[in-house]
Amino acid sequence: MTKLLEVNNLHTRFKVRNGYLHAVNGVSFSLDKGEMLGVVGESGCGKSVSMMSLIRLLPPAAQITEGEVFIDGEDITNASVSRVNAIRGSKVGMIFQDPMTSLNPFMKIGDQIIEGIVYHKKIARADALSQAAKYLKMVGISNAEHRLGEYPHQLSGGMRQRVMIAMALLNEPSLVIADEPTTALDVTIQAQIVELVKGLREKLNMSIIWITHDLSLLAGMVDRIMVMYGGYIVEEAVIDDIYKSPLHPYTIGLLKSIPSLKTEAGSRLPSIPGAPPNLFTPPTGCPFSPRCTYKVDRCQSEVPALAAVPGAGGDRPHRVACWVDMRGRGVEQ
Amino acid sequence: MTDQALLLPQEEKQFSLAKDAFIRLVANRLAIVGMVLVVFLFFVAIFGPYLTPYDFLSQDLMSRNQAPSWLHWFGTDDLGRDIMSRVIYGSRTAVIVGFSTVSFSLVIGIFLGALGGYFGGKIDAFIVWLIDITMSIPSLLLVIVINVSLKPPLVNWMDAQYVATGNQIYRNTIWVDFVLVFGSLALIKWPKAARIIRGQILSIRNKNYVVAAEALGVPTSRIVRRYVIPNAIGPIIVYISAALGEAMVLESSFSFLGVGVRPPIPSWGNMISDGLRIWQMYPHVLAAPAAVLAIVTIAFSFLGDGLNDALNPRQWK
Repeated sequence: MTKLLEVNNLHTRFKVRNGYLHAVNGVSFSLDKGEMLGVVGESGCGKSVSMMSLIRLLPPAAQITEGEVFIDGEDITNASVSRVNAIRGSKVGMIFQDPMTSLNPFMKIGDQIIEGIVYHKKIARADALSQAAKYLKMVGISNAEHRLGEYPHQLSGGMRQRVMIAMALLNEPSLVIADEPTTALDVTIQAQIVELVKGLREKLNMSIIWITHDLSLLAGMVDRIMVMYGGYIVEEAVIDDIYKSPLHPYTIGLLKSIPSLKTEAGSRLPSIPGAPPNLFTPPTGCPFSPRCTYKVDRCQSEVPALAAVPGAGGDRPHRVACWVDMRGRGVEQ
Repeated sequence: MTDQALLLPQEEKQFSLAKDAFIRLVANRLAIVGMVLVVFLFFVAIFGPYLTPYDFLSQDLMSRNQAPSWLHWFGTDDLGRDIMSRVIYGSRTAVIVGFSTVSFSLVIGIFLGALGGYFGGKIDAFIVWLIDITMSIPSLLLVIVINVSLKPPLVNWMDAQYVATGNQIYRNTIWVDFVLVFGSLALIKWPKAARIIRGQILSIRNKNYVVAAEALGVPTSRIVRRYVIPNAIGPIIVYISAALGEAMVLESSFSFLGVGVRPPIPSWGNMISDGLRIWQMYPHVLAAPAAVLAIVTIAFSFLGDGLNDALNPRQWK
């Protein structure tokens, strides 16, 4: 398989009142064509910011200080603004978290969906609209031709998210970044959207990065999972390895806190003690060490590198950033 | 059936945003009442001199304080001048002051508000500081101060110029009133426009749909045109409508207090003030300008409310 995306040692920070907030601290990973990667972590762990950095879609206060991103072999971090604009939408599509506010209330659905395609492919409006109707049908919107002439407020949340998906797919991007696309939706709609994306992925053979904080949602959907904490990747492996033999204490904690059918009624769910790290003054050493129950002295002084674990993972390396050898000490699932 | 044919559903026509908004506006009865009255006001202000047979200054001492009749629809005042002609001329005064005040404050407001909202940081802090300072100035006091301090020297200077040069331009000091009133009004009315525009730009710049458009690679110029402006324009149009009404009322209040446009140039304000002296005997002298002022104020707020509803697609049914 060929690499679609390659990220090396990416650093992104935000300028704040008196200093910098280090949101992404040296993230390296790659993605194959047609692969689906799940990115998991708690709020503020840098998962969204690192994925937004891939196409430099960052607020003015944020800046990429180090590292490089290659999409299809093209260097993004040093590309011109117009080149990045051309890549956004054409090669990379984005699906956002909140469908209720991600559509311009003053534009008709149709006009909005074709914004990208009209600009990137320079095709006529009528052709673009018929294309849009096709994609709306594909994402399961009935009466698509009629919907094109409606305004966003006339659609429900689930329908708007489908519109957002159609909008991201219309340019047939090779990579789709879905930033918590189901968080704002209720559970039944969530399941529909997950099924929809799974189906579309097979049909259109695209790579997907699915950002979420819901580890259980990714089961049965993605190929690989990347767990982020405090702006670092702490563990990355194929899905079975993550669920069956997690090797980072944080991943183990996340998995333990998913309630299962065996959980006794009235019993307390296991949780990870402490609070997420302050990215303004990151702890020296491993970012997870203040909350880690397995920590050793070294954890507080040195940041562990993300390295493949020998003998684990099969053909895809199982990478983990931990000083402690957690093999055999994880969850028994 | 081809996709093309499917795309143009015949049962429901589709309109542009402006046309949609216009349809909503027309459906709102009060807004229509307001709009008709406002249009009528502008019409009267522009074509006033051709609508009445009397000059607003010509006195007829034989027919003083006459009640409304077919000859003088609104009656005559204590100098025998036709009240309707004076009300019509007063609408000119109000519209001139209203328009110049609002356009002046819009220009300053859009410039400073957009500057602050777009660049943020120290520029924004300075502009917000300027807005706060300006807003704390009481408008009535400022107008009085200007009247007392700036106006006499200006009028004296013009008189001196007239004596020295004989140029007719310096003869007429009425325009000094206009310039001073609208100038001082504009100087203290711009912060509201600046605030609205700054707030709009600040909030729209961070809206998800703007980020979503950026993620599609839509160029900035198009984002400003299709995303920022349409979302910002509603409050600005509503502001214009409300500010026009407000400026006209303020002009009348200043003229009523004798610090605005002065007799013999009619303003609804100084006509009301004149009428107050004799209203117990001749109520029509007070009633005509007061009623017109009230109607115009209400018309502008009806229109403003209607525009607000019509331009906000979230309120559409």
